[in-house]
Amino acid sequence: MAQAHAAGGHLETSTGLDNRKLLMWLFLGSECLFFGSFISAYLLYRDRNLTGPYAADLYDIPFTSVSSFVLLMSSLSMVLALAAIQRGDMRGLRIWLICTALLGITFLAGQAFEFTEFNREGLSLSTNLFGTTFFVLTGFHGAHVTVGVLILLSMVAMEARGQLTPEHSLQVELAGLYWHFVDIVWIVIFTLVYLIQPQ
Amino acid sequence: MENPELLSGIPLLIIGIIGLVIAFGALGAPERAGASTGAVRVASAHPGPAEYVRIGIVLGVITAIEVALYYIDLSQNVLISVLIVLSAAKFLLVVLWFMHLKFDSRVFSTLFATGFVLVMLLFVVVLATLDGALV
Repeated sequence: MAQAHAAGGHLETSTGLDNRKLLMWLFLGSECLFFGSFISAYLLYRDRNLTGPYAADLYDIPFTSVSSFVLLMSSLSMVLALAAIQRGDMRGLRIWLICTALLGITFLAGQAFEFTEFNREGLSLSTNLFGTTFFVLTGFHGAHVTVGVLILLSMVAMEARGQLTPEHSLQVELAGLYWHFVDIVWIVIFTLVYLIQPQ
Repeated sequence: MENPELLSGIPLLIIGIIGLVIAFGALGAPERAGASTGAVRVASAHPGPAEYVRIGIVLGVITAIEVALYYIDLSQNVLISVLIVLSAAKFLLVVLWFMHLKFDSRVFSTLFATGFVLVMLLFVVVLATLDGALV
């Protein structure tokens, strides 16, 4: 069955769908539970602290809002990169991939700054339950963004070597799915962790 | 209300309803024309750059509204409900347009919706049984 190459550039499968894309969606479905568990733990434990500092004393909403906007715009540049490769515009692909990676790096720099500031205020992974759940949740998200940036930079290098052509648009699409997922996780974190705070 | 703590369940209920709407929407939708069925992937079924930019602008505007609401003196339950609805709107815009679930095979939607519904159940069960709350 899975012998002949189909017109869409993937092996013929019993579902008619590319197995790589199917696997990516399955992975993203499981990632929902991964992050859902950490978000639940955060909501459960954030205000059960014996000592400070507390969330309300530390959060810098204007700063985090800008970070969130940066990550949202990186999703836009990612989908524009996909649109570029699908129409055979390799220069556009290169520009938008680099743009997405730079926005991702900007977000990570913001997160590093935030972590440093929180640490300076006395919050660490072991200070209290808020610190533990906050750093684990946002730290894992940051790790995902880092992996995404590495994937994007790899694609830029592949494109520069001529190893990424319009026939490989599915690879960019898969990288895009991962990147957009990281973005939607942050959409949830930004609302539930930063904007909605206990009174 | 005699038991104000019950109000903290309203946002959880909203989250659960949104999850169910997404799940049933994904499971019940007819197979889209131009979706990834058979051996042919129809990339042209995806929207163009102009539409992506429009979606990006809407996402930016919603984020600005969320931040503005944070500084407005609203009742906590109203604020939480509005923020969750706005957040869900951003989530759906990214998932449906940028991730192309609106245009791709519903098999992908089903896989993702399954994980999403499970996590909504996790939220509700964990927060309800362990006395957690959003406020």
